[in-house]
Amino acid sequence: MRGGVFEILWQALRGILYIALYVLLISGTDFVLFNLGWCFIYLGFLLFLPIATPIVVQLLIGFLTGITMDLFFDTGGVHAAAAVLLMYLRPWVLRLLTPRDGYDAQDAVNIHQMGWQWMVVYLAMLTAIHHTAFFLLELGSIQVPGIALAKIVISTLYTGLTLLIIQLVFFPTRRRSR
Amino acid sequence: MNNLLAFLFRYRGILVFALLEVLSLFLLVRNSTYQRAAFFNSSNAYVGQVLDWRAQIQGYFRLVDVNQSLMQENARLRQQLYRPDLSGRVADSLPVSQDSTTQARLALLGRPDSLLLGLRQLAAHDPDYPLIPARVVSSTQRRVDNYLTLNVGSVDGVKQGMGVVSADGVVGRVKVTSEHYTTITSVLHSKSTISARIQRDGTIGTIRWLGDDPTHVLLDNVPRQNKLVRGDTVVTSGYNAVFPEGVLVGRIESFVQEPDKNFWTVRVRLAVNFSRLTYVYVVTSRPKIERDTVEARAGIKPEAEERP
Repeated sequence: MRGGVFEILWQALRGILYIALYVLLISGTDFVLFNLGWCFIYLGFLLFLPIATPIVVQLLIGFLTGITMDLFFDTGGVHAAAAVLLMYLRPWVLRLLTPRDGYDAQDAVNIHQMGWQWMVVYLAMLTAIHHTAFFLLELGSIQVPGIALAKIVISTLYTGLTLLIIQLVFFPTRRRSR
Repeated sequence: MNNLLAFLFRYRGILVFALLEVLSLFLLVRNSTYQRAAFFNSSNAYVGQVLDWRAQIQGYFRLVDVNQSLMQENARLRQQLYRPDLSGRVADSLPVSQDSTTQARLALLGRPDSLLLGLRQLAAHDPDYPLIPARVVSSTQRRVDNYLTLNVGSVDGVKQGMGVVSADGVVGRVKVTSEHYTTITSVLHSKSTISARIQRDGTIGTIRWLGDDPTHVLLDNVPRQNKLVRGDTVVTSGYNAVFPEGVLVGRIESFVQEPDKNFWTVRVRLAVNFSRLTYVYVVTSRPKIERDTVEARAGIKPEAEERP
């Protein structure tokens, strides 16, 4: 039985790891594909939060993560706005993808539990939403639709594949014993 | 009141969402329009510290490129060090007009005989010994005949017989080149000889290697009447136009007089540590062809170039 405090600490540690990885390494120019694809690996922290997290807590976590990114990259509120939108729409997507008999209490966002189809749809929808919001806000308009669209598509594929690999490699195959 | 609280609780998701979203957009708009706020930007001390770590981590990915460009720059700077054969006979740079403004500007620079073009000095001729930077990809030190392989080849302009130097001193001569690689015979080769000079008094001698100790070589053909001092610097003489004049070879460590010879046997400690050699320069010698031609016409046999 994992206590609530332990769970909170574990999630905080995950968040720090994802954010540190993104800020220190992945955001560098060496990891940008063709100047069009960015790997927003910190979305892994937001997307893989427990399913039952209260909506207000989710939104606050999204905002804090986003504003941290904005502090580092001097972008005002672009990351925060996109992350808050992502966290607001996450329960909707989860509801849309509800299995036939609903979510169990111990269900988590885990490819080994939910199956690869569920995970691919989940990741594709949410990263696409986030990247669309992010790049449209970043460019300030849709004056250059070609570049914005290319950035959105390539970054969605890039981030989605990376998160899928993280799921396959690092997430436990068996359910946590409760 | 209860109804209001119930309403707020019922729609807490969308309310918090709207609040945070408006806050983000407010920050975005203010960030792009007005002066940055004191806290919310990357000049904050903690953020600066993290960004500093970030630069350190990401610097590792660029080390190869940085090394490459530093090597190129070193080669350019180093070829200015080697005095051309014609030095003292032609001006270093082109003459300039004598009007007062130019003269006044040049007086500030301290080089009265240079042409100013956008405040840059133009040299009057190309360097006599252009350098090709290279990296050692394999080497031997423990055999009697030692070779090094460099990662430059004929496409970079390397030709057989060119000299190779490093920042510390003389390394060897090019033996074979392929398109992208070059094998050089190092100074540590039983048949390699280098014309050298003791810097203090200008005594000319020949550097040879006996094949035992990779840190020492012998300086031969120094006449017995010359006075020698321990610690004297031995440099290349520039007599065979393979190496420019004055490249360091090593320092005199000890000398003995052989009983039946008219020459000193001088042990010289090499300046180059061959076990740690990484970056070297291949020396292109522009005056060599002309010098070889005039020497051949005079009937002097070219110095025995070793062809093992």
